[in-house]
Amino acid sequence: MIPDVTQQGPPPSQETIPAPTVPVVYFHGVSKSYGRIHALSNITLGLSGGVTGILGMNGAGKSTLFKLLMGKLRPSSGEVKLFGTNPWKNPSPYAKVGFVPEHEKMHDWMTALDFVSTFARLHGMTRKEAETEALRVLDFVGLADVANKEIGRFSKGMRQRTKIAHALVNDPELIILDEPLQGCDPLARTTIMNVIRELGKMGRTVLVSSHILNEIERITEQIVILHHGKLVALGNLHAIRERLDQIPHTIRLVGEDARALAKDILQHPAVFGLSFPNDTELLIQTYHFGQLHAELPGLIVNNGHKVSLIDNPDDDLESLLNYLAGGSA
Amino acid sequence: MSRRDGLPSLWSGMDRKAMAVAEFTVRQQRKRLSTWVVLLVGIAAMGVLTMFYIDAMTMDYEAIDNDMDSYDWDLDGYPNGQERLYGTDIFDKNSHPGLIDSSIVPDDPSLWINEDDFDWEALEAGSVGFDDNGDCDDESRTDSQKDQNGNGIPCDIMLVQNTYSKRYMVFADGNVDEDPDDEAYALEAIHRAFVLAIGKLGIVFLIGIFVPLFMATGLIRQEMTSGTMHFMLAKPIARGEVFLYRMFGFLAIAWTYLTVLIALLAIITGLAGPSDGFFRFSDLGVWMSVWLASLLAVMVYGMLFCMLGVMWKHGMVIAIPFAAWELGMILTTLGAPDASILRFSVVGWAMNIVDAGAALAWSDTPLLIQMGVWGGGNGPLEGAEALQFFASTPGLNLSALGTVVVSVLVMIFQAAACWLLGSALFKSKEIE
Repeated sequence: MIPDVTQQGPPPSQETIPAPTVPVVYFHGVSKSYGRIHALSNITLGLSGGVTGILGMNGAGKSTLFKLLMGKLRPSSGEVKLFGTNPWKNPSPYAKVGFVPEHEKMHDWMTALDFVSTFARLHGMTRKEAETEALRVLDFVGLADVANKEIGRFSKGMRQRTKIAHALVNDPELIILDEPLQGCDPLARTTIMNVIRELGKMGRTVLVSSHILNEIERITEQIVILHHGKLVALGNLHAIRERLDQIPHTIRLVGEDARALAKDILQHPAVFGLSFPNDTELLIQTYHFGQLHAELPGLIVNNGHKVSLIDNPDDDLESLLNYLAGGSA
Repeated sequence: MSRRDGLPSLWSGMDRKAMAVAEFTVRQQRKRLSTWVVLLVGIAAMGVLTMFYIDAMTMDYEAIDNDMDSYDWDLDGYPNGQERLYGTDIFDKNSHPGLIDSSIVPDDPSLWINEDDFDWEALEAGSVGFDDNGDCDDESRTDSQKDQNGNGIPCDIMLVQNTYSKRYMVFADGNVDEDPDDEAYALEAIHRAFVLAIGKLGIVFLIGIFVPLFMATGLIRQEMTSGTMHFMLAKPIARGEVFLYRMFGFLAIAWTYLTVLIALLAIITGLAGPSDGFFRFSDLGVWMSVWLASLLAVMVYGMLFCMLGVMWKHGMVIAIPFAAWELGMILTTLGAPDASILRFSVVGWAMNIVDAGAALAWSDTPLLIQMGVWGGGNGPLEGAEALQFFASTPGLNLSALGTVVVSVLVMIFQAAACWLLGSALFKSKEIE
């Protein structure tokens, strides 16, 4: 049932670490349910090297997937392996892992340096080593100048970056980031995205989750899509996108006279349907989204229409998910 | 980014983790208002109790003239005791020692109060006591009157120790040690009773249970609820280790607190208590045992409550009935220190340690209690009943040192069992 689009599109640009004998992350037939609620069902997945985006709506099972990897949850069935070891039973693989939890609560009374170095010591570093490493990673995420400020006084973006620094302090081979961009201001967003891309370039395995397609697109092309606890796609985002172009798509126009606009647009061969939710709005159905989207501005200008908005309501995760789940966009 | 070479050995790694988590826990607790409130309330409570003690130590105890020989019934100016000593009639105004020898002047009546004090400190049962005021070994009395306890020795006290209960029985000849020094006895007995009371109930029980109740119950649970536990558990550290090292941090605070509190109490009572020198060094053994018992008690309670917190979000709901059970047990130790139900408590073992320490430091307490209860044949002296209430013999039927060793081992075992159980529960918990 899972569309196999793995091998399509351009190959990932990141250099990958030499082929390991065991995958860094391995799920085999993993399900997790809470009573009657199935948070994850029958996930089989192996990942090694590069940045992978885990996409899914809220509640799709992204965090559950990560918590299974981090040994916080026990799978209801199936097998989870982290560097070939069962994380529920053995915490030793975490020496090579950095985890950024989605939880917002942090130890607000600590300074960023304290926070990062204290937890670094749990890797067996001495106090001095921990401090040196902490300063290094805080600098890496761009927080060197506020290292001695209390986390409680940080903005959302700074807190996220502190969490990332805490996860990177042991120079991990695998970095797991659960919604790292949520609630961040644009500047922090850019910094965090750069950090993640940088880690990918260094050959680390990075898993980053998000419910915003656009965010993931700016970080990586390699994605895993979860929907209602099921793995609906994995592979290259562009390949998935190309497929998406072949299916019915909607474009929304908002202008002064929707009916006049419709008359001209109906001439276009790519258009196969129109509808008017109200007097100023026009919804266009098309099979050739890319072509129409490119030609639409010319069409509007040449016919002298006044359009205030061209919107693509389908170009989001939801329509992608609907398509992948077998519906139409 | 440079990869670190030279991984630490298992032991140095554990050591570093232990230090990191313990230090983190201490700093975290220090930042909490509730920690300070709990610790300060503890100090305030002990302070109030100490006020009562200071008051008792500085109070005047009425010197009771048990044998009424300070009175002058015939109003001839000579107290009855002095008249009796010279064989004159205490009811006849015209019969007094001044008539026998005019150089004999009337005594100050206060000399005839508390004039026949206890003069036995020997712990061996046998013949003790001395008739200081000569009203037993009086020529006018017959031999049988002088030897009422029938041990063949006139004017003595026969002390018999019950081999089973270890209690002393006092069989006195009449008019021997019948007018003891009420104040000296009251001060000594009340002092000992207070040290035992505050040591057992105040420190080992109240502080020992409430400090862990408020500080250790949430040690793991709070972090699980708030989500901050994710940071710690994302590191290569076993959950059992987290449990143990968090406990180290808690104990660093609780043990320091207890040490300071007990040292303060030892200094205050050592200076304020009755003594020949400026300080009662003889109490230090008791304070040491209170210290040892309280350290072990907070360790066991801490492990237990932390485990209850891991087990259930509302672990305190189970911890409170348990504290009530422990209160019942400590009251049992006061009356029946050898009751076997005490084996199923924490405080019973802790009390064994205190009782053993007290038995070593104040070996004459059982005798002191019986002296006071007998009170010169006139009923209990002030302080005797308080001391009898708070002092008990160690309940294991072993030597004092043996009792301490066994109790310490049992409490360490209890703590270890709670830790293992807590770790197992923690390991099986899924953390959202």
